[in-house]
Amino acid sequence: MPSGLKYLLTRLAGSLVTMLIGTMVVFFVMKLAPGDPALVVLGDFATPESIAAFNAKHGLDAPLMVQYLNWLGGLARLDFGDSLSVSSGEDIAALLMFRLPNTLFIGIYAILIAVLLSLVLGTLAAVNRGNAIDTGATSLAVLGVSMPDFWFGYMLILGLSIGLGLFPSYGFAPPSESVLGALHSGFLPALAIAAPMAAVFTRTLRTALIENLDREHVTVAKALGHPPRFRFLHHVFRNSVIPFIVVIGLQVRYLLGGVVIIERIFGINGVGSLMVEAAFARDYFVVQACAVVFLAIVLAVNYIVDLICIMLDPRRAR
Amino acid sequence: MTNTKTTISRRAVLKSGAAAGTLAMLPLWAGSAQAACSTLRAGITGYNVINTLDPAQTTLIPEAYVVWGLFNCLLKFDENMNIVPDLAESYESVSPTLLRFKLRQGVKFHDGVEMTSADVKFTLDRLRDDATGSPHQSKFKPISEIRTPDDYTVEIETAEPFAPMLSYLTNTRTGSQIVPMHLLKDGTPDDFATNPVGTGPFKMKSYEPGARIDLLAHDEYFEDGLPKVEAVEIPLIAEETAGVTALLGGSIDITSTAPFADIPDLEQDDRAQVLKTPGTSTRFVSLNNKVAPFDDVHFRRACSFAFDRQAMVDVVLFGEGRVSNGIIPSSISWAATQERPPEIGLNPEKALEELEKSKYGKGAEATVLTWGSGWWKRFAEVFVLQVNDVLGVNFKVEVSDSGTVYQRMQTGDVQASIWGWLGLVDPDEYAYEVYHTNGSRNYENYSNPEVDKLLEEARRTMDQGPRGDLYRQAEALAIEDCPVLPCFESNVHNLLAPKVSGFVQRPYSGFGAQLAEVSDC
Repeated sequence: MPSGLKYLLTRLAGSLVTMLIGTMVVFFVMKLAPGDPALVVLGDFATPESIAAFNAKHGLDAPLMVQYLNWLGGLARLDFGDSLSVSSGEDIAALLMFRLPNTLFIGIYAILIAVLLSLVLGTLAAVNRGNAIDTGATSLAVLGVSMPDFWFGYMLILGLSIGLGLFPSYGFAPPSESVLGALHSGFLPALAIAAPMAAVFTRTLRTALIENLDREHVTVAKALGHPPRFRFLHHVFRNSVIPFIVVIGLQVRYLLGGVVIIERIFGINGVGSLMVEAAFARDYFVVQACAVVFLAIVLAVNYIVDLICIMLDPRRAR
Repeated sequence: MTNTKTTISRRAVLKSGAAAGTLAMLPLWAGSAQAACSTLRAGITGYNVINTLDPAQTTLIPEAYVVWGLFNCLLKFDENMNIVPDLAESYESVSPTLLRFKLRQGVKFHDGVEMTSADVKFTLDRLRDDATGSPHQSKFKPISEIRTPDDYTVEIETAEPFAPMLSYLTNTRTGSQIVPMHLLKDGTPDDFATNPVGTGPFKMKSYEPGARIDLLAHDEYFEDGLPKVEAVEIPLIAEETAGVTALLGGSIDITSTAPFADIPDLEQDDRAQVLKTPGTSTRFVSLNNKVAPFDDVHFRRACSFAFDRQAMVDVVLFGEGRVSNGIIPSSISWAATQERPPEIGLNPEKALEELEKSKYGKGAEATVLTWGSGWWKRFAEVFVLQVNDVLGVNFKVEVSDSGTVYQRMQTGDVQASIWGWLGLVDPDEYAYEVYHTNGSRNYENYSNPEVDKLLEEARRTMDQGPRGDLYRQAEALAIEDCPVLPCFESNVHNLLAPKVSGFVQRPYSGFGAQLAEVSDC
């Protein structure tokens, strides 16, 4: 499939350029913002001399462009550098390696919850178009989009954790230690992130299903005497899956936004919470590294979504 | 006739079901048993950045919280802020320039090596050495010589009488925690910052940057029966609110702080004990005495008379604090001003009188710098609103971040800013360093030779009673000049799970060392 391969390679090149521009924007915006990592580390005891010494030690006295290029050079050798002010002197790659599995686990967990919820709600709504079930499912979806995830997170803690004691109110057992523990302690944060996504997925699926239910080929299939279940799965659902998957790919961006906040509320040591800390502490290189990881995840997911769509509908590659 | 029929409410059923569910789920991943309190879960809340645990390099509050549990100093503070022996068994002031310490015998570092006078000398020399680059270096500059006549005697000689030295040798944010010479004499190994060795009640087990620190009891700790727990887990919880939910939900046993706004509710909540005590902190409006309009003492005084500090305590602290009498916190009672001077209080008539005498009048403009989004911003707004209203001036608030504000104060690029100091333990650190012409934190550019003279005299007076009087006299003079506008002091809080006992607060917000005495959790 040479044309498909060419398409994918073009996408890959585009992704790399996007990443380059992305890191540049992050770096210069961070530098433009007020604040100084030296002041974070030296605290109340900072003097002009100790600040200058700190900056010299970490190469922060070089021109901005030189600092950026140095960092980029390191990145090319897969060297993220050392943390300045969130965990001074610590290797950033090690910081990320320890946190990335937690973030990925919560992210995937959230997507799974959102997909399961939306498959049920979206299908129910489409099949029962116009009646009470449809109204109920659609209202739930509106509610899901309208609730801020941090608020919903605290409500879940209040109700299910502090109120009923079903889940821990704080902390996350890493999947590397116990998968069951991670599923249990990660459920509330994953649900908080999943809620708004599930709402969007549900509405997309409902619309696509309704659209396909009315298509001519479905009427033809009905005339040919195909049973309802067969008609739904083969003629309606399969055609509705592509927009559904595309929307999942698009939502990954929002998912990562949610992760940043939810990780802090639930005390999950992930890349999102690290990025927030690093931004507060003006740890430029850690923020950069987190941004690279997030960009890579978004681009990878979009790439995978494209692949799946091409598999489902080869016309898309051309 | 009373109705004795027992009813089981729906809520009770749900609760018991949930409790059973939780118990069934816990063993899956919770690991250690929690019955006899072998492991204390002590969350550091509101902060999670720890860059180093090397006492000589620490600057941040969470770093200090951990260091206090890993190390000891020669001296420490009790809960009433009296200086008491720690690694020193006793001490005496031989002459105004000579302090002599008798050390405890048989004190062991975490690696089993005995601590002696050589370690004490090494620790202080290391702090004084330029090569160490310690942020605490200036505190130990007055030392001229350290002698060790034998393994258990240390003599510290200062060039001039220097009374604050005793405070600088306590287990607070001083950097003078005793470190092991045998590990550091050939230079500090890279891992000392993350895996330090001290004499404290707890030793390092593991550290996950930004996430958690695990400590184990130091079996050979010199105080009998301490620590009472076998291990301490310290999750670093960035959001203070998340610390509250963690405690209420039973995920942790104790917090290092609590959000002011939640205190009234938490005090009514039987799922938490709230401990509070007036803290060693001072919050004020810092005025740049060198630039208009604050270069005029009458204008500064007019501002001081023009706002109600209690409104700040109510709005900014939600009542969790008190109006200051000066900038020396009232918890350092032997040096703090006892009766509130008239300048520290709302008096619109006096305010307008002073404004009349000033070279600036109604409509004078100034920018008040503050930072963050939470209470520092509210603090500035409460000040500016009132002063504008009473004096008819035109002040405005500029919000930045703390680092930038601090930098601008240091370079004098500021008219007024909201500022304060927290956790400092000696009155000299508040009064001398802020009011003295050469004070290291005199960002107000204030200078009054009479105040300077009293503060210098206080530094030379070793006896606490007369020394405290000198600070009161100096502060009385300084407050008339209004170089800063003292506002309020806040309480320090800890939240404890219902079962926890034995934790005794310190006004400087003690944490690590105090965990050794916790017995139930």
